[in-house]
Amino acid sequence: MDTLEKLEVLAGSARYDASCASGGSAGNSGVCHSWSDDGRCVSLLKVLLSNECSYDCAYCLNRSSNSVRRATFTVEELVGLVMRFYRRNYIEGLFLSSAVLRSPDETMARMVSVAERLRTRERFGGYIHMKVIPGSSPALVQRAGEVADRVSVNIELPSSGSLSRLAPQKDRNAILGPMSQLGRTIGERVADRRRSRRAPRFAPAGQSTQMIIGASPESDRQILLLSEALYGRMNLRRVYYSAYVPVVSDNRLPVPASGPPLQREHRLYQADWLLRNYGFSAAELLDDTAPFLDEELDPKAAWALRHPEYFPVDINRADYGVLLRVPGIGVTSARRILSARRFAMLDVDGLKKIGVVLKRARYFIVCGGGVVQRDVMVDERPSVVRRRLLEACNALPAPAASRQLVLPGLR
Amino acid sequence: MLALVFFFSTIDVFLVLYSYDGSIEGLFSAVSFILRNECDPSSVVLQKHGGLLFEDERFIATDQARADELVRRFSRAFPENARDVVACIHAEEEGLETSLLHYIHLVAIHGGAVSAHLAHPAVHEIRRHARRVRRELHRFKGLLRFQELEDGTFLARMEPDVNIIQPLSRYFIRRLRTQQWFIYDVRRSLVSRWDQERLEFGTLQSFRHPDVSVEEEEVQALWKTFFDHVTIPERHNERCQKSFMPMKYWKYLVEKGG
Repeated sequence: MDTLEKLEVLAGSARYDASCASGGSAGNSGVCHSWSDDGRCVSLLKVLLSNECSYDCAYCLNRSSNSVRRATFTVEELVGLVMRFYRRNYIEGLFLSSAVLRSPDETMARMVSVAERLRTRERFGGYIHMKVIPGSSPALVQRAGEVADRVSVNIELPSSGSLSRLAPQKDRNAILGPMSQLGRTIGERVADRRRSRRAPRFAPAGQSTQMIIGASPESDRQILLLSEALYGRMNLRRVYYSAYVPVVSDNRLPVPASGPPLQREHRLYQADWLLRNYGFSAAELLDDTAPFLDEELDPKAAWALRHPEYFPVDINRADYGVLLRVPGIGVTSARRILSARRFAMLDVDGLKKIGVVLKRARYFIVCGGGVVQRDVMVDERPSVVRRRLLEACNALPAPAASRQLVLPGLR
Repeated sequence: MLALVFFFSTIDVFLVLYSYDGSIEGLFSAVSFILRNECDPSSVVLQKHGGLLFEDERFIATDQARADELVRRFSRAFPENARDVVACIHAEEEGLETSLLHYIHLVAIHGGAVSAHLAHPAVHEIRRHARRVRRELHRFKGLLRFQELEDGTFLARMEPDVNIIQPLSRYFIRRLRTQQWFIYDVRRSLVSRWDQERLEFGTLQSFRHPDVSVEEEEVQALWKTFFDHVTIPERHNERCQKSFMPMKYWKYLVEKGG
């Protein structure tokens, strides 16, 4: 099989991986080199080293019992591909994952040698994101972190129960072991580098993970609590959510009503941003009575409607943290408000001028000076505001929403 | 605060008209002259000579030394704001002179932080154009495509809306340091050249596409294959793709048939 055919197979197998972020070295963070036909940013050569898998995970295209075309890159082939693409500015770097080729250690050793050869022989300065195969030996995990910018161990499913049912060969400890080893070493190296700038870097772009949404019955609340714990305890930089796309049929898996649960994935990402950058906690966003995110409204607006006592917020007086909790005001807008109000009191026109979008925010803010706009939400009117917010959103063509169907036998 | 309130009340009241020869040195010479000689630069309107026919417009001749001095002192004292000014000039937009003058004046009297005062019309205008330039620069860091030529050098062609060849070339020095390359702005006939040691800028009178290397077509085919197979068919979303990557950029993209 020639390189072109292998690329077809191994890029096709890697496409279900959600993460695409790159960057870290100054000046080129967030550079996208293209956008694929599904609208996702292409910044890395995202491929599997091999799809000849010895595991049999129910949700996976490359499970050993599935009949698909199989291929494996040689180390040289992949190194050559990366360098030729990089020189033409097609890519920012390499995203390397793999099926389990014979054993986790054998696979991991090959992946590490691709990255090491790129760094030492080719003097490759681009970005490398490497997946760690669950169950690899600590020595190989260490070597991966020394050469890669970002490392990740996929947590795959949000609970160990689902894991043992759908991915019987991957166990919880094989995933959490490397994950905590990486988290610990990253923390130590950051501390070392604070003492001496000569200390070598270890996965400078941090650690991430990914889980599949909608293949198992966990609620959004369980998922967000898990993410929160991963950010807090494992020192993770990002958690990626991947809407389950049925690529193989298996009676352990739900049959989706229509297409992958993209709207649910979207809301989870929004909630995830609220956890990382907006000072929200998972318990605030969802409680036991409503364990799923509202698919019609973004999680911040949904939270705001449940907490009318918090509003209206005075744009000219509120702290950064308080501004961030206003629906429609993000990090950029909040910063602009803080700096602009040093020069003059902000009114509605002033807000528009500095680029704050008022479509959602107008119901939750006042601009001081004792004047309250007509449509500001007061205690008894959250339902009115909710209707208006939905009307405003529906003015745009609605995204194809679809609810994941969960089979009764799964719980 | 008080000074700014005062500023608002005087704008559009007594307009003084100045003009310059249209060159960048001329622009900075005029700004330098006005800042030194006018007691209230905020009521001055500056434009290219021969724009509107006002009898009382004063023409300021280009004075290279004055222009250099202004640029040097301003960029040393306010590096962030100087970047906004430079980006604005790269926007190649007509009629920004007055806003540039007012912006430089505001920064000089209130300090660099005035750039956050987006409710002020001049600040808003300058920042808006600077942002436009930075956005396109950022896009081209990713969307620029190099081809390998027969002699082993690399060539990239582009047609950006604004003039970004200088900052873009400096970015690629760091990224592709060990290659020899050209970047060619087709619409402006501008070329930059990196020979692994020095960066040069020039203009091109005529362009004939040189032959590509033997490997080039094969690598392009590999890239197209990768691009086609990395899409998840179930999530096809052309609208999203086009909003991030407008079709005006497709002309030179290998994966989009360029």
